[in-house]
Amino acid sequence: MTRLAFILNELYRNLYRNPGTALASTLSLALLFLLFDLFWIAAGTSEKFYANLLSDLRMHVYVQESVAESEIKSLTTAITEIRGVMGVQYIDRDLARKELAGLVGTDLLVGYDDVNPLPRTYIITFEPTHVHSAAIDSIEASLKNLPGIGKIDYSRDWLGKAESTRKIILNIGLILGALILFTTVVSSANNIRLMTRTRAVGFWQMRLLGAGRMFIAAPFLLEGFLIGFLSAVFSWLVIEYSQSKISFTQFQLVLPPLSQVVWFCLASGVLGVLSGFLGLRKMFR
Amino acid sequence: MNQSTIVEINNVYLKSDRGTPIFHNLNFKLSHGRSAVIQGPAGSGKSSLVELLIGLRRPESGSIELFGESFGGLASTRLNRFRLKIGGVGGLFELISSYTVAENIAFPLVLAGERIKARKELLLKMLSEFSLIKQAGAYPRRLTRVERTLVQFARASIANQPLMIIDEPSAGLDSGTYGRIHEFLVKASFSGRSMIILTSEKAVEILPNTDYYQLISGELA
Repeated sequence: MTRLAFILNELYRNLYRNPGTALASTLSLALLFLLFDLFWIAAGTSEKFYANLLSDLRMHVYVQESVAESEIKSLTTAITEIRGVMGVQYIDRDLARKELAGLVGTDLLVGYDDVNPLPRTYIITFEPTHVHSAAIDSIEASLKNLPGIGKIDYSRDWLGKAESTRKIILNIGLILGALILFTTVVSSANNIRLMTRTRAVGFWQMRLLGAGRMFIAAPFLLEGFLIGFLSAVFSWLVIEYSQSKISFTQFQLVLPPLSQVVWFCLASGVLGVLSGFLGLRKMFR
Repeated sequence: MNQSTIVEINNVYLKSDRGTPIFHNLNFKLSHGRSAVIQGPAGSGKSSLVELLIGLRRPESGSIELFGESFGGLASTRLNRFRLKIGGVGGLFELISSYTVAENIAFPLVLAGERIKARKELLLKMLSEFSLIKQAGAYPRRLTRVERTLVQFARASIANQPLMIIDEPSAGLDSGTYGRIHEFLVKASFSGRSMIILTSEKAVEILPNTDYYQLISGELA
């Protein structure tokens, strides 16, 4: 208890004696975390945007002319059983004619009642977990193996572009995250090293008197945790405040859930401890 | 060697960083309750002996035992445990500049895990014993040389460690202050604490329970 009280007192002393350094460190880290938070929100928002778009993806499957009406039921069952298929809607020739008339505004097939030339189709929707190129390719291959299936049509190019955009966002996020991680560690480690440098002789004396490395380092590691944690909390407070003041009509911002934010703040604190270790490493060699 | 032996140095050979031999064949033994005054001129190796005793240097050959345990090749945690049993004055044992006088004096008690109440009581006793009450809140840079030495003595005494190493106890002290320090040393000798006093002064005051050595040419005589 005595040691803990001493360590906490040392932490207070460090912050009290170097308030400018601690504040500058907290603010610069908060700025870095704010940048990361903004990207996190942008990534989450675009992810939701794409997820919404992808949920509207439909596949049009044309039935060959040779397939008899009596075979449609078994074909529908076979399509429904394909893994990843969520919904199957059969459009017969009459329904197709009605839809065409609805689209065009007039029935173009007047007089063709007995020989409706429109194809029969299936409109397929996908399970949310299967809305990606690999799964859809697999569904397409399964459909092609079924007898009586003709042309298959869906927005293949659009899906490819959407996926590549998501990948780019993810990669930028990873690079930005790594960059921020690196900058955070280097910046905090340097701040702690500067703070300890002036007290190097004192630490040496403490060691001669029998103080352990951890005993001397603990206040600085705690300080690293506090600065990292508070910077992350501060950055999220700025985000929350800004979000309450700004509203978008075209889309809604997607903020990570509170539990993820709490984990992020704690992880930032741990990052601060790591920075503390790096900052003190040379002194204890 | 048993627990009643505080320090035992056997056949220690130590050379300087430049390769010059400091100790050829150093042998020394200090029993519990006894003290030693080691006299030697500047450059005779007194500071190197302190460095050996607190584990800052390792001998090239020979063995050092402290408090009944071998001291060679210790991990830093065990080394700390040994250092907790030693109170130091002068030479390497400077004050911690970022701490006040009171914090400096009480520091060994913090390391020993002493409770705050007991710490305060002992601190008050030491401040009063060494006439440092007025200086309790001052930082070392504001102290005179005499005051700094007194603070070091108070710090080395507060936790009542079994061994005290005193490097040049009279350095920079006026005769009046030295008289008080000598009085303290006599009291410490009678109390059963062991001391190693290193001095370059030729005339050394007589202390009870004390053996006298001369450090000449890397050997104790």
